[in-house]
Order: sequence, then structure tokens, then C-alpha cells
Amino acid sequence: MRFQHLVRTKLYRFLSGFFFVWLAYSPSIGQDNQTTKSNGAILDVGIRLQKSINLYAENGITAQYTNQKLFAKRLYFGLSYVTSRLGTALSSNAIKQDNVLFHAAYYFRPNRLIRPLVKANVGYFKADYDDAMFDVLPRTSLLASPELGLCFCPNIPLKINASIGYNLLTGNGVTGPGTLYPVFVQTSVTWNILK
Amino acid sequence: MKIIISLLVMIVGVACSSEPTITKDMLDGGTLFDPSIYKPESYLISKAIPNPTLEQARKPVIIACHGYTATTFEWDELRTWAAGRTDFLLSQVLLGGHGRSYEEFKKSSWHDWQSAIMDEYDRLEKAGYQNISLLGSSTSGALLLELVASGYFANRLIPRNVLLVDPIVIPSDKTLSLIKVFGPMLGYVETDQSAAEDKVYYRFRPQETLQELQSLLTIVRKDLEKGIQLPPNCNLKVYKSSKDSSADPVSAVLIYKGVSAANGVPIAVEFVESDLHVYTRLNLRSNVTAKDRINQIATFTDIAARTLR
Repeated sequence: MRFQHLVRTKLYRFLSGFFFVWLAYSPSIGQDNQTTKSNGAILDVGIRLQKSINLYAENGITAQYTNQKLFAKRLYFGLSYVTSRLGTALSSNAIKQDNVLFHAAYYFRPNRLIRPLVKANVGYFKADYDDAMFDVLPRTSLLASPELGLCFCPNIPLKINASIGYNLLTGNGVTGPGTLYPVFVQTSVTWNILK
Repeated sequence: MKIIISLLVMIVGVACSSEPTITKDMLDGGTLFDPSIYKPESYLISKAIPNPTLEQARKPVIIACHGYTATTFEWDELRTWAAGRTDFLLSQVLLGGHGRSYEEFKKSSWHDWQSAIMDEYDRLEKAGYQNISLLGSSTSGALLLELVASGYFANRLIPRNVLLVDPIVIPSDKTLSLIKVFGPMLGYVETDQSAAEDKVYYRFRPQETLQELQSLLTIVRKDLEKGIQLPPNCNLKVYKSSKDSSADPVSAVLIYKGVSAANGVPIAVEFVESDLHVYTRLNLRSNVTAKDRINQIATFTDIAARTLR
């Protein structure tokens, strides 16, 4: 079984299923008390699994930071890198493309197990077409996307985020890379390494 | 709260039940039909020459297939250009569900669209034709790639050429990727085209057919990701407008990366400096430039040359 197949099917289904079972049945008890009680900063580091609707899976790494001064740890700033090289383009003829994203995220309902979040991403996209004959086509773009989602934040340094995002800039056949699609879903699993 | 729910139900209900305003002057109306339906022998070689002589059977035949919502009209200019030539034959296929009525189109699947190509290919092969090339524009490019990927030619006469003009794998309008969610609410999508074009292209695109189109494109994209190998001695060339508001030019990249000849040689791709979708069809377009004419003739010449090799 190929890794990309695992990522696109079983892992996604497992994480999303796990997440929504918790959403439906978990009591809204205070969570992440350890981090809340302390004034220490949080640096979440982990993986980000992303899938454009009707296009590629793109996976990579993510990190985000907050501290008490940032709206009492509700506001996070972070950086992500996702690429189809670790997704659909792994062992296939799919186009290799890279996304670098800077984000600001705001988490609602602090200390709860399930926290709604909104996120704003800006970044840079680059596709690699492999052959010079395709140099006439646009291959880079700025990225700008809002995201809306939920975070599963248990009483350990773990965070599991699931969200849906919308790329405001996409390809249209004339400008912009053709494999930059509008709607994507993502799941990120992170660990607070400052804990 | 009840009022809000009632309003939402009404809005969704109206959106889902919306039907286009079709007139009898439109191809969608069920009164105008593609002429190949009345006179198939004027368009299909299998009907025009069902029992070819040995000499006729050896002559190259091009099966020309049009795009989504189009008709045989899309390749009429190739027929006009080739008029008087006796070194190859042109068979213009009308895709299933096309050229008839909105209702016929609405209930058709991409398999129906494709079956018309297979029917003509089978008839020509059974009649004894030995040198067949396939020419597809836009959605027919995807249909032809799917035919190859599905192994349709495994136990049949192998086509000499698969020639694709502005094939679509990635749509330029990326909202097509969301058609399964928003399609049922929209009902249909109207195309901005002239009254003259309304007679040869469907003006209204039922969301059901847009879903079919998206399904086809997803299948072909995944086939390309896995890799499609052409049958032995079959050549493929892509002619692609460098700017195209219907079929994203990146489609050519996916085809180039995804298709390989049996001998491992990369396929041919030619980018054409144009912003027209299916740049080989110029009739009924406004503002056609001299450059557009040159592009059209150059491609027709190349298609004929490759077919005659």
C-alpha cells in the first residue's frame, strides 16, 4: 500500500471520525489547564494534511506560537509548508507543487475541549512543471485564504485541528497556476514542545 | 424561527426547481437538431461509404469529435478546409446527448457522450478501414484519453494518431470542482454566447451534465497520475492555446506527464499563442484576427500531415 493512499483515505477518515465523535459526545469541561494556568508560551509543532476538493492531497509540517500577551493565548501566529510531493505526487505523475503559508489563528472558547477557530493564511505557491516547454504557463501565485474549523484540545499538549479553507486566488486559465483550486480541507496534528 | 425555516425551504425549493427559459431558436429547444441526425451520410464515413473498396479502406480516416455542449459544427471548418482533398476522409461524430434538446442533454452521461465515438470507430473497423486517427476538441480530449486508459483499443485496430485540440483535464473555472455541492441549488448554468451560436451550441448547461463532466475529468486526471500508455505505433499530440478560459492550459502538462508512447518517447505538445478555446473553430466568433486564421490553418495542415504519415 502506498503512503499517499494511506494519507488520502484511512488517516483522513480516522482523524475526522475521531474528531467528530469527540465533538458530539464530549462534555465541555475545561481543558488544557496546564497551559492555561501557566503564563508560559505555547509552540505547537506537527504535521498538516491538506486536500483540495477534486484535486491533490498536499501534506507537510506546521508550527504556531502564542503566549499570554496574545489575547490570553487565544491568538496564534504560525507557519506551514505543504506540498503535493508528500501527497498525490508521491510516486505518481501529479504535478509537484509547494505551498508556504503564514497564518494568524484565533481560538474561541478557551479551556474547552472543542474550540472553534478562525484562521487567515497568506503565502506563496509554486508549481514545478518539469519541462522548459511549459515556461509559458503561470506557475507561481500569492496565497490568501480564510479558514474555519474546530480544534480538539485535550488536557495534554496535543492539538488536532480540522478546518475548511477557501483560496481567494486561483488559476483561471489565463492568469494563476491551473492547479491552484479554491476549496481545501485540512487536518493538523500538533504537539506543544514548550510543555 | 418558523418563518426563517419556511423562507429557507422556499429559497432552496425555487433554486432546485429552476428551469431555463428556452426558445425554439436555440439548440436546447428540441426543434433545431444537429444536421448529422438528419443526414448521417454527410458526416459519418461509416454511413457515407459503408462498403469501401480496398483503396478506400486504406485511406486515412479522421474521426473528429467535438466538445461539451457543441455539435458537429465545431469541425465544419476542417471539412471546408479539406474540401477537394482525396488523400484522407473526415468523419464528424455527434456526441451522445448533444445536438438534440436540453432534456436529452440533461439525462445523458459522459458514457453516452463517448459511446458515439466508439460506435463510429467500431463501424469503420468492421467495414474494413485500416488507418484511423482520432481528433478531439476540449471534452472529447478527455473522452479519448479515457478510451485509451480503459484499454478499449487492446483487442481492436489501433488508431494511428490521437490528436487533441485544447483538451480539458483541469477546468479554467475552478468552481466546477464544487458542482456536486452547488449544482443542485443552481439547476443549470447559462452560457454567454451569440444568438447564432445558440443554434449550434447548447446555451444552458444542466448541472447534471456538469457533474458528469467533473466525474469524467476526475477519472482522467487519476488515470494520468497513474500513467496512460499508448498502444504500439500510436502517436499523440496536444495542441493547446496558451490562454484558455475553458480548458486550463495546465491540462497539457498533466497529459504530457501522464501519457507515454509504447516506445517510451514523450508525446508532442504544441502551445499556440491564442486566447481562444478550441482555437480551430473561428466561425461565429467575433473579432477573429489574422493570427487566429494562421493558427487554424497551421493546425489543420499539421493534423493532415500527421494523419498521412
